[in-house]
Amino acid sequence: MTSVNNRPEDDLAERLRELDVADVDARSERMEHLFTGIKAECQKSDRTVAGFLRSRSTMARRLIVLGVFSALAITGWYLFPIVGDHARTIQWTTSLVTFCVLLLAAMIMVTRPVHLPELPRWQSVCLVCVALGATVLAAFWPYPAAQAATHGHDGSVMAGACMGVGILLGVPVYALLRLVDRGNAFGSLVAAAAAGLAGNFVLKAHCSVPGTSHELLGHASVAVLFVLGLGLVHRWMPSH
Amino acid sequence: MPNSERGSKASDEELMEAYVNGDDAAFRALFERYAPILLRLTRRHLRNDELAEEIVQQTFFRLHGARNDFRPGSKLRPWIMTIAMNLVREHWRRTKRRKMTSIEVDTQAAPEADLMPLELRQRSELLHVALEKLPTSQREVVELHWFQERPYAEVAQIIGTSEGAVRVRAHRAYATLKQLLVLEIRGDE
Repeated sequence: MTSVNNRPEDDLAERLRELDVADVDARSERMEHLFTGIKAECQKSDRTVAGFLRSRSTMARRLIVLGVFSALAITGWYLFPIVGDHARTIQWTTSLVTFCVLLLAAMIMVTRPVHLPELPRWQSVCLVCVALGATVLAAFWPYPAAQAATHGHDGSVMAGACMGVGILLGVPVYALLRLVDRGNAFGSLVAAAAAGLAGNFVLKAHCSVPGTSHELLGHASVAVLFVLGLGLVHRWMPSH
Repeated sequence: MPNSERGSKASDEELMEAYVNGDDAAFRALFERYAPILLRLTRRHLRNDELAEEIVQQTFFRLHGARNDFRPGSKLRPWIMTIAMNLVREHWRRTKRRKMTSIEVDTQAAPEADLMPLELRQRSELLHVALEKLPTSQREVVELHWFQERPYAEVAQIIGTSEGAVRVRAHRAYATLKQLLVLEIRGDE
């Protein structure tokens, strides 16, 4: 028996022992029913893509996510034109690196093993807030206005297009993170923030429409919409 | 029965390793060993049979999903306890958020109350009430330290805090319980 120190050994101990005895209920037919239910649920889960991915080891799940993220980023980087040299400022680079770091942190949180104590809620909320803050802050370092004449885009009109593209790009990221999430608390909210970050990363790298208002309406809004829409709605829906 | 015989001889870790390698009978043996412990744990926390069974099911379902994370040399008990405690916490959080008063009404009835002698039922009820008055963080410690007989270091590992903090919580919880029980008994008289 494991040594247990400082357990109360008085009348309280006696009362606690009574409660322990009073609560014993392990009738075999009930247990058999429980076990059948668990086996059925496990077998059902094993036949799904989500079940397959979730049952990989944590290292494998992280490598899968990193692999998909990297493949998407590299494909996008080389297939679509990124912003010109003049726009690749320190702020631009800082924004992209920040998005990457936050995306990585979100991925680590979502793929956290369930046999570890769950993270304090404030950490997840903090990550989501920082992610939203970073997308808003990045909007205040927009594409240089001096280049506007060469494009002739209307920032507010293009904001809708950017928002659409950003959401479209974020959906697979959200879906992938949900597929590898074994059921961490706030997993959906963090995955939604990650989707918003991924959308913002691509938009920041490729969008050459100038103006803070455009970036606020068309880029930062992607993260806000993901968190409010997918994250919170999913969070408040009854769990399976 | 071969399963029971094997289940009684093999250690938790051996059974888990066998299960990771595809032995379904090992999963059953683990279930037979841990389900009653987990049922007691969840029923004491939730005081609702259906919910307790659902949490036990979810615990084993998550254990099944996480099986490939199990490494030789790891201890299984803290794994299972952590998964179950996480689920109980998650349940309380959701219940609190949704203000599910219907569940609160359901939990007023102690499980299997009719099968107990009246005096034992009353004593059990008083203790349940006292336990429910403890903050969740202290109740978790009493559950793991007293009922599951886990040492402080392991309790700390399961709930994700320091051993010192666990000792403080346990000390406060036992002191509060004693105080509450004295008050409850006086009030009952």
